[in-house]
Amino acid sequence: MNPQLQVLIALQDILLMIREAKDPTQTKALGKMGFKMTNVESLENTRENLENQLSPAILREYSRVTKRHGRIVAPVIRGTCHACFVRIPSAIDAADDRNKTLYRCENCGMYLYWVDK
Amino acid sequence: MKLSELVTAKRINLDLKSTTKDGVLEELVKLLRLSKPAREALLKTLRSREELGSTGVGKGIAIPHCRSLVVSEVTVAVGRSKKGISFKSMDKKCAFLFFLIVAPPVGDPADYLIALGKVAQAARLMSADKRIKSVKGPKKFIGLIEELER
Ligand SMILES: [Zn+2]
Repeated sequence: MNPQLQVLIALQDILLMIREAKDPTQTKALGKMGFKMTNVESLENTRENLENQLSPAILREYSRVTKRHGRIVAPVIRGTCHACFVRIPSAIDAADDRNKTLYRCENCGMYLYWVDK
Repeated sequence: MKLSELVTAKRINLDLKSTTKDGVLEELVKLLRLSKPAREALLKTLRSREELGSTGVGKGIAIPHCRSLVVSEVTVAVGRSKKGISFKSMDKKCAFLFFLIVAPPVGDPADYLIALGKVAQAARLMSADKRIKSVKGPKKFIGLIEELER
């Protein structure tokens, strides 16, 4: 896998977790099930560490896109970008270097990650 | 939605070998049969989740969970450790039953919370049943979950 894509995936998972940990509805529901979500600071540190691993150009794009959409990577499931639900051109969807090269959705601009079948 | 409907025999390991929290997470993630990079990404996210607060809910149960890009549907794996593992649970007791839940970031977050709630409910029923420590084989284990969820 492209190392920058791997970092972007980890970052996106963390961003979502931070959002959930700060959402009172989610924390209340999870708290009732017995789950603690107290150390949000540690997640912010992890996020910062991961951001430092991005190249300057990708970091710029990451900052721009996440500011607007709250995420940067879209999963591709059965040939469709799951951010905008537009089909990926078949030449790219069938390419050997999926996940090895950084591809972006031509429609919404998200970096694409082909999920394991 | 029931735990017995979410888990398959291939995703159950009734003889976890690890003696550490991190080792258990690795063994559970292995059951999902993901590619190596996906496995590594998921482990990173699960470790971060544990830093946020332990998913050891007490009574010998831990339910590591997260939403991650590496799966396309709600995915569950179950593990059992005979010796029990320190999981920083609230009751400070070792955990011996582990339920890994991973949901995709897309879709209704309520589905994820419902699945998590169902698993937590089933896990509590299971930990109260003495047979859970001795039942042999994943198929019999699923049979026991079905019986308890009835
Ligand atoms: Zn798109």
